[in-house]
Amino acid sequence: MSGPALSARGLEKRFGRSPALRGIDLEVAEGAALALLGPNGAGKSTLLRLAAGLARPSGGSLQVAGLRAGLPGARARVGLVAHATFLYPELTARENLIFAGRLHGLADPAARADALLEEEGLAAVAGRPARGFSRGMAQRLAIARGLVHDPALLLLDEPFAGLDPRAAGRLAERLAGLRRAGRTLVLVTHDPGLALRLADAAVVLARGRIACELRGPELSEAALARASALAADAAA
Amino acid sequence: MSVFLAVLWKDLLAEWRSRERVVAMLLFSLLVVLVFHFSLPEGATRRQAEQAPGLLWVAYLFAALLGLNRAFALELENDALSGLALAPADRGFVFLGKAAANFVIFFGVEVAIAAVFGLVFDLDLAPAAAGLAGLLALGTLGICTVGTLFAAVAVRTRFREVMLPLLILPLLIPVLAASVRATTSLLAGGGLPWDALQLLLVTDGIYLVVSFLGFEYVLDE
Repeated sequence: MSGPALSARGLEKRFGRSPALRGIDLEVAEGAALALLGPNGAGKSTLLRLAAGLARPSGGSLQVAGLRAGLPGARARVGLVAHATFLYPELTARENLIFAGRLHGLADPAARADALLEEEGLAAVAGRPARGFSRGMAQRLAIARGLVHDPALLLLDEPFAGLDPRAAGRLAERLAGLRRAGRTLVLVTHDPGLALRLADAAVVLARGRIACELRGPELSEAALARASALAADAAA
Repeated sequence: MSVFLAVLWKDLLAEWRSRERVVAMLLFSLLVVLVFHFSLPEGATRRQAEQAPGLLWVAYLFAALLGLNRAFALELENDALSGLALAPADRGFVFLGKAAANFVIFFGVEVAIAAVFGLVFDLDLAPAAAGLAGLLALGTLGICTVGTLFAAVAVRTRFREVMLPLLILPLLIPVLAASVRATTSLLAGGGLPWDALQLLLVTDGIYLVVSFLGFEYVLDE
């Protein structure tokens, strides 16, 4: 592995004529946790999808561990938990995870699926089709899906949405555990408190640009709230 | 390879659970066959026999359009198509898995339709069964390759039910023409004509390679 876990240089993304990201320069070191904040439409989810290789940049460069984002080698290092769950309603929870494991070429996807279902507290409903799952259960299964190949870089787009306090607490513990294990996290959130608790750096986006970057001692709930408010004003 | 097998397994399992496409394709093509039967003048047995291969392949094509329109419906719910695009492999293998699943489903439906068609049009298909099966496989391969590629293109468009036939019907003319010609010759007891088989093989090969390579760009947002 070479270079930072995620590196963007002059990154641009346009949808037709509309710019979604404009000249983003960003670096996330291996094992670090970065929170992305900003108002709706700021480009947070677009940045995650570019990093996951689901879309191509319109300009600039984006690399995952030294590899161009989107290449199979880069995709193998990335796990994505997005707004959508990527689940198949006709398949059971276990089958969904086995399928995801097979997509990633795991040697024993069934064993991995069972372990993840246990960790997410879904073992009791492993044989139930995902169609009948509540939003919280589906979200927990989506998180397990994102972790199925034990990615070095985990991209999370508002992963706490739809979780009850118990599940949210469990996810926070899980993410802290992943950090201790040396995994890199990039987390989109609207919650400055959450960003402060889980991340060691925060970037606030507004209208596709970096409005503010806070690291180390600069990172406080008040500073984040202030930067988010300024970004929201800039976007309005 | 694991991606190909995974997608094939997932699509067939999901279809087995829902039977959504198989039932819709079977019912629709059965109705098409009956409409053809009743729209022909009474006592036109000889002409029916001459027209049968063309009618049979038109029924297959209609059924395939219905099936292809639903082929990516499964991937739309929960944005599962993006989940497929995350697989760390050449995305052509996702295409191969989807196309292979379509092939299995379509081939099964086509065999059932052929049996009904033989009964309705009073045709004895048994002597030509092996040749017909081979021909069905080649024709279905052509439909499934280019059909799967354009079904993936159409699924993200606003008028996907209209877009898909507009995109693929012109491309399927060589497949349809060669399949009808070969079926006509086969049912008339003349064996499989090499020129029609050549056209099918070349078309299938080109569509397979182009679709495999092109799928990478289809999955990009």
